[in-house]
Amino acid sequence: MITKKEVEKIAELARLGISEEEKGKFAEDLSLVLGYVDKLSEVNVEKVEPMTGGTALENVVRKDDDSKDIATDEMKAEILNAAPDKENGYFKVPSILK
Amino acid sequence: MNLKELTIKQAHELLEKREVSSVEMTEAFLKNIKKEDKNIHAFLSLAENEAIKIAKKVDERIAKGEPVEMLAGIPAAIKDNILIRGAKTTAASKILENYIAPYDAAVIKKLKEEEAVFVGKTNLDEFAMGSSTENSGFGPTKNPIDLKRVPGGSSGGSAAAVKAGFCVYALGSDTGGSIRQPASFCGVVGFKPTYGAVSRHGLIAMASSLDQVGPITKNVEDAAQVFEAIRGKDELDSTSIAREWKDFARPLDIEELKIGVPREYFTHGLDKDIEKNIRAVIAKLEKEGAKIEEISLPYSEWALAAYYIIMPAEVSANLARFDGIKYGFSTLQSPSSKLQKLMDVYLKSRGEGFGAEVRRRIMLGTYILSAGYYDAYYKRAQKVRRLIKDEFDNIFKSVDVVLTPTTPSTAFKFGEKTSDPLSMYLADIYTVSVNLAGVPAISLPSGEVNGLPVGLQLIGKNFDDIKLLQIAKITETVINEKQHA
Repeated sequence: MITKKEVEKIAELARLGISEEEKGKFAEDLSLVLGYVDKLSEVNVEKVEPMTGGTALENVVRKDDDSKDIATDEMKAEILNAAPDKENGYFKVPSILK
Repeated sequence: MNLKELTIKQAHELLEKREVSSVEMTEAFLKNIKKEDKNIHAFLSLAENEAIKIAKKVDERIAKGEPVEMLAGIPAAIKDNILIRGAKTTAASKILENYIAPYDAAVIKKLKEEEAVFVGKTNLDEFAMGSSTENSGFGPTKNPIDLKRVPGGSSGGSAAAVKAGFCVYALGSDTGGSIRQPASFCGVVGFKPTYGAVSRHGLIAMASSLDQVGPITKNVEDAAQVFEAIRGKDELDSTSIAREWKDFARPLDIEELKIGVPREYFTHGLDKDIEKNIRAVIAKLEKEGAKIEEISLPYSEWALAAYYIIMPAEVSANLARFDGIKYGFSTLQSPSSKLQKLMDVYLKSRGEGFGAEVRRRIMLGTYILSAGYYDAYYKRAQKVRRLIKDEFDNIFKSVDVVLTPTTPSTAFKFGEKTSDPLSMYLADIYTVSVNLAGVPAISLPSGEVNGLPVGLQLIGKNFDDIKLLQIAKITETVINEKQHA
């Protein structure tokens, strides 16, 4: 069972603001789903390698080549324009340090 | 021109023979949308001007006698979690209500090269999380066959749009069944290609190790056409893979086919009439010369549980980007609150911007990945995922394709499963294994039960997409003969 206190902790980690009455509902729903997925403890997974992605590919890398930049200046302006606050071509955020 | 029946091949022929122009065709679909979509709500936005502009261009080329691509001038609908530059792309979430895509998704770029016409963006469960479109931030889509019932989800808007005659074909995305399940509920074809066959660049990410883009169409041949147009390696999706693809038109002999029927897919409360329907198709295929083999995929039993760990874990990571800082809904400038701290912007923007199911999955994923639970949940689920994949790899050493029902029930009524999240999750019981294993699968309409469409699922071997489509074509023919007999 997930407690309301645990719900508060998870919500903070997830950066999700939730209301007081939602806490009870989340505790209930998460407990229900976690109860179901506990089914996996029935499976013997000894010596099984975890499958960590959707392909067998490993370490696909590309050169850090700025000629491959897909954003044109116009696109960059559009991207920045979508931000709620900006200054001099940067996203602006509230102060983090006191 | 029967809009509900019009296939890509027929539309292409009409255009080439100049019996209908692309502008006329596009206008006919747009007119139908305006007339009928107020009842169905398949679309979140329309792109009339842009659509007519492209249609005109194609008409000019045809008038000059130039050959045009198969998809040129043909109206399509795009799920609203796929970016089209300059168009609103919301993922059916309030958090992206006013978001304008600054670039084209890879699949859109490819379709634009073919001069496809996009009539609009279709509804979905918010961020593709759901099986009914009831989780859309902008109201649900209704099933064109019965307006009291859901169209399935998450690509419910795309499936409904194809069924209702709002477009010739549509694109959807499939993370745990989101193309196949709505296709099944609406009586159309839905194809999820092999993981890595189609680039996801520009698809709003839900669970990156599972997501795949694919077509929703009126028949198998159309699905093959669209797949041919959108597949291929893309530098901007490092999981995409370059392949030599076989030719779909090459004939396949039904007598050489070995079809596996897994007994685990005929349990879990499978509707008796659906079972009867699917078994009748199997019998017909056998009669036509295919070899039918009863098989077992024992780890299927744990697929849904593994999925509901891996998927929310990836969701919680992927949706961290919606922070109220870069784009989307934000309380940063909200005049009513004296927000000064960054943490408050995060909490409030995300708390208010995301709907209930999305928040539920973010919470679940965050819990699963948090210190102390990672090994017990996430790592264990990844190991079970390996067992499921190995099981599919093994089965395809002895059969060409696996045949199952797509869903345990036909389209359910609105509100039937919204109060209990688990009952909604169970709607995906036959489709999630496919995403965990990465294999391709297709849902075909297989007649009706009590007036509602039944979906038949065929699952293929990794990167055997073309062979799967060829087998689907044979199966489609057999189903149609059965209905007409």
